Amino acid sequence: MTDTTASQLEAPAIGLRPPETVMRLARMGSAHPTRLSFLRVLLRRMRDEGWRFDRPVWEIDGKGVGRAVYRAVGPVRTYSLVAFAHDLPDAMRSDRVIATAWDATFALFDGTPTAADLDRLQANVPLQEAGRISARELSLSRANRSVRLWAHVVESLAAGRQPDPAEIDAVGYLMRTTAVYGSGKFGAADRRDIAERPELQGPFQAEMLSVWLTRQFTVDIVEHLAAAKGGDQAARLAPEIKRRLGVGNSTGLGMAPFLVRHPLLLNNWMAMREAALARVRALTGVGAQAIERLRHAYAQACENAESWHSDHPIQIAKLRDLRDDLARIGARLQSFPGDAAHPWDALWRWGEETLTLEGQEMLFALLIEPHGDLVDDLAAGMSAEEDPAHPINGAMSVASFRAILAQRYAWALAIDFDRPENAARFWYVSEEKLEPRLGERATEAGAEREQPLCTARLVAELHAALAGWPDQRPLAAFLLAHPEHRYMARRVQIAADHPYAEVQDNLIAADMLPIDLMRCKLAFFGASHFDPRSDKWVRISLFQGAPYPLDMQGGAAQ
Amino acid sequence: MTLEPNDPTASGPSFPDAGAAVVLSRNEIESLCAKAARGAGISWGDAEEAGFAAGWLHAHGLDGSSVLLTHLETGAANRPIVGQGHWRPAGAGPLCPIATGATLSDYCTLPEGALGGGGLTVEAVASPVLLLPFLSRNATRLGHGIAVSFPGGAVIVEGAGAIAGDLGLLVAQGTATLLMKPCTSAAAAPHRAPAGCVGTVLARLNRLAMQTTVPPSDRSRGDAGSGTDDND
Repeated sequence: MTDTTASQLEAPAIGLRPPETVMRLARMGSAHPTRLSFLRVLLRRMRDEGWRFDRPVWEIDGKGVGRAVYRAVGPVRTYSLVAFAHDLPDAMRSDRVIATAWDATFALFDGTPTAADLDRLQANVPLQEAGRISARELSLSRANRSVRLWAHVVESLAAGRQPDPAEIDAVGYLMRTTAVYGSGKFGAADRRDIAERPELQGPFQAEMLSVWLTRQFTVDIVEHLAAAKGGDQAARLAPEIKRRLGVGNSTGLGMAPFLVRHPLLLNNWMAMREAALARVRALTGVGAQAIERLRHAYAQACENAESWHSDHPIQIAKLRDLRDDLARIGARLQSFPGDAAHPWDALWRWGEETLTLEGQEMLFALLIEPHGDLVDDLAAGMSAEEDPAHPINGAMSVASFRAILAQRYAWALAIDFDRPENAARFWYVSEEKLEPRLGERATEAGAEREQPLCTARLVAELHAALAGWPDQRPLAAFLLAHPEHRYMARRVQIAADHPYAEVQDNLIAADMLPIDLMRCKLAFFGASHFDPRSDKWVRISLFQGAPYPLDMQGGAAQ
Repeated sequence: MTLEPNDPTASGPSFPDAGAAVVLSRNEIESLCAKAARGAGISWGDAEEAGFAAGWLHAHGLDGSSVLLTHLETGAANRPIVGQGHWRPAGAGPLCPIATGATLSDYCTLPEGALGGGGLTVEAVASPVLLLPFLSRNATRLGHGIAVSFPGGAVIVEGAGAIAGDLGLLVAQGTATLLMKPCTSAAAAPHRAPAGCVGTVLARLNRLAMQTTVPPSDRSRGDAGSGTDDND
């Protein structure tokens, strides 16, 4: 069990940034993937431990319908992605959680499945939420084609040509997942039953493995269809084109509440990230290799920014900021390291003064990129074993509790909830497939069934209810009289020891952007090319530029 | 292979083999039971405790979701008046086991929660087996087991989760007055396999859970989407 908190870390010479700087939505919504992102952690482990990959089952017909199995064979255990390919009419293709059929459906199986396992999964996995999986499965997911790119790639390859790189870059993936469920969902194995396995101890490692194997499936099936169509003249994807393809992901509000519902996990992700920055800033020297790696990471960042497209006005402005900032960073790197005593810290401070949030977060990723030896161990501190009802310390005095609340939630107590714009919205769960949604309080029905994601208002109400309670009374007495505040009181006690547990913004404000929460989480996954389709919906790409499993046997990229 | 679409208007998880035993992950039990408790009108914080309690009981071989459903449907809502050595319901009728369990947990190291001397008597607890998860948590914190006696039986709860004694009798208790005392001897607890769920119970819990959700509307559906076509 790992529950490293910021306070338990060795104190670096340069301190951690305070939560009031780090935990703001605008900054979280400018996050970029880093070497601590979960897919990078997965790829490093697979490489270092010499994992091997194969495809023992490929029963796909000429129309692209059937099933396949991809295995990842590690030093101790084997995991298998079981893929089902379907022939989906265009009219049924929807990325929404309320969809009922998909181009492909998947489960990550614990071990090597038998034919009986495959038959059992075939009766359930294509149904997704309406089916049942078992404790032998670690994830359940589905994906839809990018219709335009899919057709272009199949036609090109069938005619013996490579697809147009411009078309590839415009989309970046052949298929996008529309949900990846793990941790005990729909009958899958509970996290607490598998969290002791080193390869699954980190956050979302099973889900990342599933998506990485899915990427292999997307290129295999497109080559298969091209061969079925073009016969002997069909070409296979050139390695340099294949590498540019990731796996897309399309997601709506379903993802947004996660960070709010998992304060311990959010804290640990953020605290480790901040610890990484502090370690790098504390360095006194700059080795030649570090400079070379920094310049390489910078060049990749520029390339990434150039191939990053979005039609959404918010993202267009943010991309402009990013590109302008990258130009500034490039100019500043000309004189790096210079003669500062702490050159990395000097670079960081320059960035804080000079760059927009987009650029600062990019500089963050660039700064830690050359320093794997220094920061990669922090990934082990990013998981959290959460209790469905984190025990409350009822013996804590009302005075101590009030002090924690005032210190950790000053940002929330400053909000005036009598102003309509500060309570303009409400989070709720729709009857439709239990999809989380966000409503307008003034004009939409359902606010009486509001979800407790309005942390700032809940803590303001708790604070008000505490008024008049004698300092020396135990919190237990207050909660016995006020069960309606138990939920928030629990969070306050979690926040006492976990400074990065709360998003320090009003999540029901009229101008709150749900995509900021989503980008933060997706950046932790390792997502690139964040492309909003509204303020509540986004597409991204995963594993773009990474090796493919079947090309990375025993740790060596082939 | 079937590609028969599911009904897009279907609400929540379905359990097609209602009546038969159903295997749910612990995460699913916790999540469903917390939502059902909230749907039954319990506060969010106590609903989390209800989810914890039901999940814990299943993991320790007892059908906690059935007991929780019985409790939610009978609706014993009394909270305790706590005093040293003796707790009683604040109003007429039995104590809510979730509120009582959470309060036992909160008072674990406070004088009102002390188990020493003549022990702690808790009067008239509805569905009292739901207290075991909270007592197990307290046993961990206190570093010793807890002996619970009730009319006609007794059980022992230890911190590592071991439970032993007249568990079947305790499950069968509709309402009981309990006496809790520290217990230093280790319980001879056999390993208990996780308990399955009953389909009809899950269906009823699910109906309660749906009380936390909002009926769909065109506006609601449209507003949550991408605003662009997915056939691009």
